[in-house]
Amino acid sequence: MRETDLAIVGAGPAGLSTAHVAAANGVKVSIFDDNSLPGGQYFRQLPGGFQRTVQTAFDKDRARAEALYEVVRQTGVSYFPDATVWDIPDDGVLAFTRGSESGRLRAKLIVIAAGAYDRPVPFPGWTLPGVVTAGGLQNLIKGQRVVPGRRAVVAGNGPLVLLVAASLVRAGAQLVEAAEAAPIIRRLWRQIPDLLSAPAIVRQAMEYLTIMLRAGVSLRTGWTAIEAHGDGECEEVVLAPIDAKGGIVRTAARAVPADLLVLAFGLLPSTELLRICRAEMSWDSLRGGWLPRRSAEFETSRAGVFAIGDGSTIGGVEIALAEGHLMGLVAAEHLGCLTANAARKLKRPITARIARLSRFRRGLERLYEPPATYLDLITPETTICRCEDVTAGEVSSRQNQGYSSANAVKSSTRLSMGRCQGRNCLRTLVDLVAWHTGIPPEEVELPRARPPARPVRIEDLLQESLPAIEPIDHATAHLPRGERVS
Amino acid sequence: MTGFRIEAGLDRGQCFQFTCDGQLVSAYPGESIAAALLAAGRRRLRTARRGDGRGLYCAMGVCWECAVIVDGEPSVRACTAEAKPGLKVDTVARPESGS
Repeated sequence: MRETDLAIVGAGPAGLSTAHVAAANGVKVSIFDDNSLPGGQYFRQLPGGFQRTVQTAFDKDRARAEALYEVVRQTGVSYFPDATVWDIPDDGVLAFTRGSESGRLRAKLIVIAAGAYDRPVPFPGWTLPGVVTAGGLQNLIKGQRVVPGRRAVVAGNGPLVLLVAASLVRAGAQLVEAAEAAPIIRRLWRQIPDLLSAPAIVRQAMEYLTIMLRAGVSLRTGWTAIEAHGDGECEEVVLAPIDAKGGIVRTAARAVPADLLVLAFGLLPSTELLRICRAEMSWDSLRGGWLPRRSAEFETSRAGVFAIGDGSTIGGVEIALAEGHLMGLVAAEHLGCLTANAARKLKRPITARIARLSRFRRGLERLYEPPATYLDLITPETTICRCEDVTAGEVSSRQNQGYSSANAVKSSTRLSMGRCQGRNCLRTLVDLVAWHTGIPPEEVELPRARPPARPVRIEDLLQESLPAIEPIDHATAHLPRGERVS
Repeated sequence: MTGFRIEAGLDRGQCFQFTCDGQLVSAYPGESIAAALLAAGRRRLRTARRGDGRGLYCAMGVCWECAVIVDGEPSVRACTAEAKPGLKVDTVARPESGS
């Protein structure tokens, strides 16, 4: 089996900065990524053949981006693009596919920096072509310089609303409405002290707001999208205010013609690999739900498995970079490349930076705390599971028949059993089960995560030469990994 | 036309063509199939079980809403697959014509 000191899953800001710092301190690093180019979502690159002729607003942050891209060529770093890490089958072992190179890698330490994806918020019309996620729109603009519509509405809850609104204006789309569900203006003054611990990020948000305002669009706070309509594609978006009790005021709804609706309801961490290797999770409602429990130095409950960046706790790019930096030092210390004394000295400034950024983040989370339950947007006809086409009505009829747990709903409807593996519906299912049974969402048991962490082709797996299979012990064959009949 | 390419400050190189549902679509080297289709105003990329259309949603390989058929291979994510000259992209399964 191939061997390395430190295996990193994800070549975004967190993974690349870990690799950079660890390798600079003499650690042998292997970094796996499912994209063709390093950078992740935030530092997404243009295709190699595209040439910039002049600098535009999209080239902001280029210097940091270019420095990060260089990490994959750094001495001591082995880089595996277009690779899917689909399992952690054993302590210190990763299973991956990469075309004909499928195989296993043994690592002394594993860092999961898998990033995040957009939180799904179902409502009538959210499956229409022309309704896209904030992350998706940013990717299309950054990585392809393409905009999927002309007349755009942004709706959501969180800082991505402003970012996306500014992106659309800069891209030359016509921004017609921007709706932020939380009453952030009213809440702002109480969060100012925390928010000022990261003044550069606040300045950036003000810049986005200014771009919007100059385009003649004001931010509607306390409003949300409730429906999208159209003949096969998005043609109209309906917005409605949210009252002080969190109720949607449908009588005050207004419809606007728009062929593009961007949903910016925040992000969920990609925790599949962590759940597969049975790292303990804990519930944080302000950060999107289930997150891995971590030590102060990012180790999960599975010894030797670490989790950093947006893949562990949604913190944004600055926290991801800082956590990656600290992670690199922690790994170098664990592996004996740095003495405890030297590590302590190097860690101090970066730990202080993370504390400052975390204070900012808490302020931001309180500012944007969801003002309503998004379940109020759902009608019986609303699709909950996009892949298997399961509606809210089907879920509730199963619930009324006694299929009350998340697992029971899953196996009776096929919800979460499709190609996206529940990424677009499990979070909603947790809320639906909590609402129906009256138990708090943190006590809703998620269906067990099983390999592969991402869809892989059988054909690719067959490239791998596997060790001889041990005979199956039928007494334990159907138990969760690592458990035994007592 | 709905979607569009941002032209400012960028030279995309030499344009080429592929087909989608039998119609010619223009693309540039390195472009994803989804980007080329969106820029051509084609947003419906697959048909869900109940017959409703779906299109690009997450654009990062997570949701599979943009899965198309490429040269006969099913379930190819248009958001991550690169457009190549002469590709035959289909948004619905259809019997091979002319054979």
